[in-house]
Amino acid sequence: MQTPHILRDFDHAISTLRGQVMSMAAITRNNLERAVRSLLERNPELANAVIADDSEVDDLERRIDQLGMEILVRFHPLATDLRLVISSMKISMNLERISDHATNIAKRAKKISATAEIQECTLIEPIYALADHLLRDAVAAFSDRDVKLGASLHERDKELDKMHKAANATFGARIEQSVGRSQDYLHLILIVRSLERVGDLATNIGEDAVFLDSAKDLRHESKRNV
Amino acid sequence: MSANSQSTVPVAIEVKDVDFHYGKSRALKDINLDIHRNEITAFIGPSGCGKSTLLRCFNRMNDLIPDARVVKGEIRIDGVEIHSPEVDGVELRRRIGMVFQKSNPFPRSIFENVAYGLRIQGEKRKAVITEKVEKALRGAALWNEVKDRLHESAFGLSGGQQQRLCIARTMAVEPAIILMDEPCSALDPIATASVEELILDLRSDYTIVIVTHNMQQATRVSDRTAFFYMGEVAEYDFTSKLFSNPSNPKTEQYITGRFG
Repeated sequence: MQTPHILRDFDHAISTLRGQVMSMAAITRNNLERAVRSLLERNPELANAVIADDSEVDDLERRIDQLGMEILVRFHPLATDLRLVISSMKISMNLERISDHATNIAKRAKKISATAEIQECTLIEPIYALADHLLRDAVAAFSDRDVKLGASLHERDKELDKMHKAANATFGARIEQSVGRSQDYLHLILIVRSLERVGDLATNIGEDAVFLDSAKDLRHESKRNV
Repeated sequence: MSANSQSTVPVAIEVKDVDFHYGKSRALKDINLDIHRNEITAFIGPSGCGKSTLLRCFNRMNDLIPDARVVKGEIRIDGVEIHSPEVDGVELRRRIGMVFQKSNPFPRSIFENVAYGLRIQGEKRKAVITEKVEKALRGAALWNEVKDRLHESAFGLSGGQQQRLCIARTMAVEPAIILMDEPCSALDPIATASVEELILDLRSDYTIVIVTHNMQQATRVSDRTAFFYMGEVAEYDFTSKLFSNPSNPKTEQYITGRFG
C-alpha cells in the first residue's frame, strides 16, 4: 500500500490477511470451475474432489476471521485499515457461500452423471461463464482497489438473472413435457439457481470492494432510491 | 473543516483566524474552529502540533508565559472576545475549568480540595459549601467512595480517584466549559474507564474539550475531533467520520500509524 506502518507486525498481519482472502478467492473460483466441468464432462471423480476441497475454503474462512479479530484486538486499526479488516471478513463469508454453491453443483453433477446424458446440460456453460466473470471482477475490484469495477457488478448481475429465468423456463418446460427425466431437470434448475446466487454473492464482494476504497455503502441502494 | 459547518448545535467557543506565537515562533497558524455546546471535542495530533497551546488559549493560561500571545484573530466564548478589556482572566478561568495530565490535588483534605475554589470566590456559608462539595463529588462519581473520609488527606486516594477529585474541584465552581489536557495519560485502564465514563456523563451539563494522544479514547468519548498538524487544523469533523473515512491524507497517515 502507501507508507509502511510504524509497527512492522501490523504490516505483516495486514498483508497476511489480504493474502488469505486472495488464496480463498482462487480456491473458490477453482472449485466452481471444476464443479461445472464435472457436470459438463460427466466426471464424478472431479465432483468428489470439489466436495472434499470445500473444507479448505471453510478453514480459510475461520482463519481470516481469527486474524481479523486479532488485528482488531491488537492494533485497533482505523480508517482504510479498519475497512480492510471489515471487508476482508465479509468477503471471506461471501466466498465461503460461493464454495458451498460449488459443492451443491458438484453433488448434483454426480447424480446427473449417473444417468444418461442430457443435451441441455450445455445450457449451463454460458451461465457459468458470466457468473465466473462477475466473481473474477469482484475479486479484482478488491485486490486492485477498483471502485468503478466493484460498482459495475450490480448492473451486470441483471444479465445473469435473465439467463437464470430463461434456463428455468427451458428446464421447467421439459419437466412439464414429462420426458421422464424430471429429477435431472430439477437438478439442472437448482444448479442454475446456484450460479445465479454466485452472481449475487459476487455483487456483494464488489460492494465490499467499494466500501474498502471509498467507505461508501452501496448495499440495498436500489431499494433506498425507490 | 466540515464539522464547523455541518451542525445547528450552538457554538460555545468560536476560533477565527487565530495565530499564536511563542516569542518569534509561530505555534498556531490561521486556526478556525467552532466548539459546540454540550459536546465533547477531542484534539489529536503529534507532539508539538499546537493542540495544547490552543486549549490553553481558551482560558488564557498562556497569559502566564512571557512572550506568548495571540497575535491575530479572535476567540469568542459565548459571543464575547476573551482578550477584550472587559474580560477578567481570573473570572474567565472560573467559567472555564481545566483538568491537567497529572492529577494535582492540594495538600489538604478531600473536602477542602473541592471547597477551595468556592472559598477563593468568597463563599463563607458553611451549608452552601457543604452542599456544593457534595454535589461536585457526586457529579464526579466519587461521592460514594469518599463520603466516609472527606476530612482525610487527598493524597490517600488512588491515581484515578485523585483525577476525579480534580474534576470535582473544577466542577464545584460551576464552569460552563471544562478543558482537559490528557486527563488519563497517567492512569491505568480501569481508572481511565471511570474517568471516561464521567466525561460522557458531564456532557449534558458542560462543553468539554479534551486533548489526547490516545486515539481510542478520542473515538470512545468525543463527538467531534480536530486533527492538528504543525500548528494548523488539518481536519475537523465528526469523530465517527474522521476515524473511519478521513478526508485529509495526513489524517489518514497519522491515525493509521503511517506517519512520516
